[in-house]
Amino acid sequence: MTDTKEKKKDVLLKVRDLRIEGYSDEKWIEIVHGVNLTLHRGEVLGLIGESGAGKSTIGLAAMGFARDGCRISGGTVEFDGMELTTTPKSDLRALRGLRIAYVAQSAAASFNPAHKIINQHTEAPVQYRIQKRLQAQEDAMELYEKLRLPNPTEIGFRYPHQVSGGQLQRAMTAMAMACRPDLIIFDEPTTALDVTTQIEVLAAIRDIVDEYNTAAIYITHDLAVVAQMADRIKVLLKGEEVETADTDTMLSSPQEDYTKSLWAVRSFQRPQRSRPKGDVVPVISVQHVDASYTSGEKVLDDVSFDIYEGMTVAVVGESGSGKSTTARCITGLLPPSAGKILFRGEELPADYHNRTKDQLRQAQMIYQMADTALNPKVKISEIIGRPAQFYGKLRGAALKSRVDELLDLIELEPAKFYNRYPPELSGGQKQRIGIARALAAEPSFIICDEVTSALDQLVAEGILKLLDRLQKELNLAYMFITHDLATVRSIADEVVVMRRGKIVEQGPKDEMFTPPHHPYTDLLLSSVPEMDSNWLTTLLEERGVDNVGEAANAK
Amino acid sequence: MNYFVIGFYALLIGSSCLAAYYQKRSLFLLLFTLTLVCFLMGIIGGQPALWFVTVLAGIIALAAGTSYAWREFLVLTLPRDMSRALKTAPLTASFGLFVIFIYAVMGIFAPVIAPHGEAEVISSAFAPADANMLLGADQLGRDVFSRIVYGARNTVGLALAATILAFFIGAIAGLFAAVRKGWLDQIMGRGADVIMSVPSLIFALLMLSIFGTSMLVIVVIVAIIYSPRVYRLTRAVAGNVVVMDYIEAASLRGEGTGYLIRKEILPNSTAPLIAEFGLEFCFVFLLIAGLSFLGLGIQPPTADWGSMVRENATLISFGDVTPLIPAGAIALLTVAVNFVVDWMLFRASGLKE
Amino acid sequence: MGDVASLILKRLALGVVTLFVISILIFGAVEMLPGDIAQAVLGQSATPENLAALREQMGLDQPAIVRYFHWLTGAISGDFGNSLVTGERVSSTIGPRLLNTLFLASYAAAIAVPLAIILGILVALARNSVFDRVANILALTAISSPEFFLGYVLILYLSVKTGLFPAISSLQGDMSFGDLLYRTFLPALTMVLVVMAHMMRMTRAAIINLLASPYIEMARLKGVPSWKVIVFHALPNALAPIINVVALNLAYLITGVVLVEVVFVYPGVGQLLVDAVSKRDFPIVQACCLIFAATFILLNLAADVGSILTNPRLRHPK
Repeated sequence: MTDTKEKKKDVLLKVRDLRIEGYSDEKWIEIVHGVNLTLHRGEVLGLIGESGAGKSTIGLAAMGFARDGCRISGGTVEFDGMELTTTPKSDLRALRGLRIAYVAQSAAASFNPAHKIINQHTEAPVQYRIQKRLQAQEDAMELYEKLRLPNPTEIGFRYPHQVSGGQLQRAMTAMAMACRPDLIIFDEPTTALDVTTQIEVLAAIRDIVDEYNTAAIYITHDLAVVAQMADRIKVLLKGEEVETADTDTMLSSPQEDYTKSLWAVRSFQRPQRSRPKGDVVPVISVQHVDASYTSGEKVLDDVSFDIYEGMTVAVVGESGSGKSTTARCITGLLPPSAGKILFRGEELPADYHNRTKDQLRQAQMIYQMADTALNPKVKISEIIGRPAQFYGKLRGAALKSRVDELLDLIELEPAKFYNRYPPELSGGQKQRIGIARALAAEPSFIICDEVTSALDQLVAEGILKLLDRLQKELNLAYMFITHDLATVRSIADEVVVMRRGKIVEQGPKDEMFTPPHHPYTDLLLSSVPEMDSNWLTTLLEERGVDNVGEAANAK
Repeated sequence: MNYFVIGFYALLIGSSCLAAYYQKRSLFLLLFTLTLVCFLMGIIGGQPALWFVTVLAGIIALAAGTSYAWREFLVLTLPRDMSRALKTAPLTASFGLFVIFIYAVMGIFAPVIAPHGEAEVISSAFAPADANMLLGADQLGRDVFSRIVYGARNTVGLALAATILAFFIGAIAGLFAAVRKGWLDQIMGRGADVIMSVPSLIFALLMLSIFGTSMLVIVVIVAIIYSPRVYRLTRAVAGNVVVMDYIEAASLRGEGTGYLIRKEILPNSTAPLIAEFGLEFCFVFLLIAGLSFLGLGIQPPTADWGSMVRENATLISFGDVTPLIPAGAIALLTVAVNFVVDWMLFRASGLKE
Repeated sequence: MGDVASLILKRLALGVVTLFVISILIFGAVEMLPGDIAQAVLGQSATPENLAALREQMGLDQPAIVRYFHWLTGAISGDFGNSLVTGERVSSTIGPRLLNTLFLASYAAAIAVPLAIILGILVALARNSVFDRVANILALTAISSPEFFLGYVLILYLSVKTGLFPAISSLQGDMSFGDLLYRTFLPALTMVLVVMAHMMRMTRAAIINLLASPYIEMARLKGVPSWKVIVFHALPNALAPIINVVALNLAYLITGVVLVEVVFVYPGVGQLLVDAVSKRDFPIVQACCLIFAATFILLNLAADVGSILTNPRLRHPK
C-alpha cells in the first residue's frame, strides 16, 4: 500500500464540478452538487459518507453511467483524456469492463443466476477479444487462486446460488479484474457481509489491487474499512464534498467539524454496572431454551442467560447465530420447543396469545428498521398514544399530556411532531418515536434489535445516549441485539456471544473484552476493523491469511 | 388521383420531413411509419381507406383535445392533493375519467336524458334514424338511443353491484387470511385455487343453466367467480404489510384482529386495492356483457347492451352499424376504466422506486 | 434432480386433486337443481308417470354418490351419457366439434404467441418511447373490447363492406387446408387480437421487471452489448415468466372461443355449450364444462412445470 504512493503517476480520472439530478415526485432534483475528484494511476480513493451522500451515484458517474431515474446534468468526467459525458454510447460501452470495471454491493443479486460463474467471468475478455475462451478460463482460475477462493479450478463451474456470499464477492472482484482494467469501482463490496467474512474479502481485494497496480474508488460508509483500503479519503455529505486528505492525515488530524464528529463517535462509553448483590430475582431469565422453525433444524440450542434490573445485556453474533430468534422466543412470537422464560421469577406462557395484557406490557421491543417499525399511515400522536390508551386506559386530555410527556422524554418537541406522519421524519427521529412507543407501555424490559445499525454514526450515537439516559431514569433492563462490537463496548454491562444457535461465552463486559477468549469470541473481536490504517496488515501478519474469515470460522 | 389523396399524402410526408428536420426522432419515426402504412392502405383499400384514416385521426384529435380540457378543468376544480396528482396524468387517463363521468351522468339521469322509455315501442322494426330517433329503432321498434341510455344504468349498475359484492367477500376473506394465517388461510387459498381453475365464463354458464337468469343470481354467481381473484390480491397485498414490524408491535401489544385490519393494514393497502377494483370491474363487466350477448344475462325487455348486440346482430350482414353501438359502448367504458387503472398502477410502481 | 422431480410430482398430484374437486363441483351443481333433473327437463306440466319413467331411465333412484362415480368413470373413458334433448350420445356430439374448437384455438395461438412475445420484447426494449405508448394504448383498447365487438367490427369491415373474407365459418369435410384457414380467418383473427394484446402486455411487464435486476445492470457495466444483454442475460431468466404468460393466455383463449364461436356461427364446443345451457341439456353442459376446466387446469399445470424446469436454482441444486 505504501509503495504505491511513491509511484505517483499521471492522472487517470479527473472529475470537475460533477452535478447529478435524480427524478422524484415527478421532477428533477439535484442530488450531487458539483463534486471534484482526481485519481492517479494505481491510487485507491476512498469515498465515504452517510446514506444519501451520493457516493454510489458518483461512483457510477465515473463510468459515465447513470441509473434509470438519474442523469448527469453538469460538469466533466475525464478518463485518461477521454471526456465521458459527451462520448457516444457505443464508445462508452467499449470502455466498461475493459478499462473501468465495477464491483457491486450485493454479489448474490449481481451474478446472473442462469449462468455459471466462470462463463460470466470470461464474457468481457472474450467480448473484447483479449483472450480466447479457454485462455480466459485459465486466467480466471489463476485470479480465483490469488483471491484465495477454495478449489480455484472448480469453483467457477458452479452456479452463483451454489457459492457463499463472501466467496461470490471475491469472484466478482476476480470478474472485474478479468480484463486488467485501469480503474475499478468498488461499491460497498463488504457491507452485506458478516465481520469475519468481511476481513478476508478486504484482504483479498487489497492484495489484488496492489498486485496489478489498479486504481480504485472504494465506496463505503464504514470509516474503519476505508482506512484499511484507501490511500486518500474523500468525505461526502449530502452530495457535496466535505474534505479530502491522505488516509493517515485524515485519521490523525481531520480539518472539518463534520469529519471530526464522525471520528469522535466511538468515544461514547458509559460506566459498566454489575449485578445487584444478594438474592435478587432477574427481570428476565431465559432457561435452557431450544427452538426451531416449523420442521426445520434447531435454531436455538440450550440457550440460558439472565437480565437484571437496570442492566444492559448485549447479545452478539453474526447473521444466523440465533440472536433475533432468542428475542422472538422471549416475546412469545416463536414458542420454544424446550426450556422456559421467567419474568421476575414467574414463568411466561410460551405463546404471546396466552399472555396477559400486563405480561405483554412489561416486555417491549424497539426495531432495527424504523421505516418498517412505524406505520406510515398513522399519526405520531396515535402511534405513541395507542399503548398508553390500550394499557393505561388513558383518554382525552390525560392521553394528550402523556404523549407530550413521552415526546419530551425522547427530546422531540411535542407541538412540532404531534400531528405528523412517520414518512416526514428523519431516520433518527423515527427511531426515537419507536423508543417512545415502547416507553408508552411503561415496561420494565426492552429488547433493542439492532437499533443503531441502520442509522448513520452520529445519529446512532444520539440514540445510544438517549437509551442510556432513559435506563437510568426509569431503571429499565435492556437486551441489546447487535453485531456491532463498538456498540457493545459503549453500552453493555454483560455480553452474550452466540454462534449457530448456541451460546459460546458470556460474562461481564470487562472480562469478555480481556483475553483469554474463547476462540470464536477471539475471531469475532479481532475481525472488527479499527480506525488504524495498519490494522488489517498487522492482523494478517499476526493471524496469517488462512486464519481469518470463513476458513477460521469453520475450525 | 384527386386532390384529397394528394393533399393527404403531402400532409403526412411534409410533417414527417418537418419532424426529421427538427430532430424529433420518435415523432418522425411515428409519422413516417404512419405514412408507409397509409401507402399500403391506399393501395389495398383505395380512397375510402384513406378517408377512414382521416376520420380516425380527427376522432383521436378530438378525444385528445377533450381530454386535455377535461384535465385542466379537473386540476382547477378539485382539491389540492388530487389536482397535483392529476397534473401529470397522461391524456389517456383523463380521457378515461371523462368517459366514466359521462357514463355516470348517463346512468344516473337516464330517465331525464332518454327521450323514450326503455321498453316503449314507438315505430316499426328497424326503422332508420330520424329527428325523433337519433339512432333508429331496434327489431321491435324501440328507440335504440333511449335503450343505450337506460343500458348504462342497467348493465353498468349490475356489473358494479357484482364487483362490489365480489370485493366485499374477497377483500374481507383476504385480510382475515393474512392476519390469522394457519389453517384458515390454507383452506381459503385452496378454495380460491379451485374456483379459479374453472374458466369464468364456463363456470357462469354452468351455474346459470341451473339457477336460471334472474338479476340476483347473476350478481351472486359473478361475485363468487371473481371474489377469489380479489382474495388473492388482497392476501398478497396484506401479506406484504403483515410482515412489517409495526404489525408485530401491534400484535405483541395484544391488539385484536379487527384493530389490526382496520387501523394497521387497510390504510396501507388502499392504493393497490382501488386499482384492483377498476380491473375487476372490467372483467365483471365484460363477463356480464358476454352472458347477455349469449342470451343468458339480463332478460328482456330490460335494456342491456349485451343483449342489444345480440338482438340486432342480423343487421351487420346489411352493413348497418346499429349492433356495433351497444358493443362499442361496452368497449368504450372498459377502455376508459383500463386507462385510469393503468395510470394508477404506473403511479404506484413509480413511487415505489 | 431429486428436488425437481418431487416438485413436479407434487404439482401433478395437486392438478389431479383439483380436477377431481372440479368434477365434484360440476356434478354436484346439477344436483342442486330445485326438484331434480327429470323435473327440470319435463317441466311443471309433466305427468307423474312420465317423471317416474325418466327418473328410472336416468338412474335417479340411485344415491348421488353412486351416480357420481358412474358418471366419473364414464367421463374418464369418454362416455358422458346421452343428451336429454336429442337422445344422442354426448361423446359423438362433442367429438367432431371438439376438433373444430381445438383447430380454431391452435390457429389463433399459432399466430398470436410468437407475434405477441416478439412484440412484447420489442416494446419492453423501447419502453417509455412513443411506440411503447402507442402500443400500450392499442393493447389496452383490444383487451377492453368484448370479443363480439371485435368480431362484428371485423365482419363489417373485412366481410360485408370489402368482401375479403367470409363472415360465417361454415365448414365442410372436404375442404382443403388452405381453404379451411381462409374460412376460419376472421374468428381466428378476433381471438388473436384479444389474446395478443394480453400476452404482449404481460411479456413487456415480465421483461421490464427483469431488466431492473442488478445482474442486468452488472452486465451493462461489464460492457456487454445491449442485444447480448437481452439474449444471454435476460432471456434465460425470462423463460419462466414467458411460459406463464403463454399458458395463461392459452387458457384465456378457451373462454374467448365460446363468444367467438357464437358470433361466427362456428360449429365448435363453445356454441354447443351455449345451446345446451339454454335448452338445459345437462349431460352436455357437464361434459363441456369438464372438458374446458380440464384443459384450463392442464395448461396451468404445464406452465408451473415449465417454470420449475427452467429455474436454474432448482435445476442445479447445491
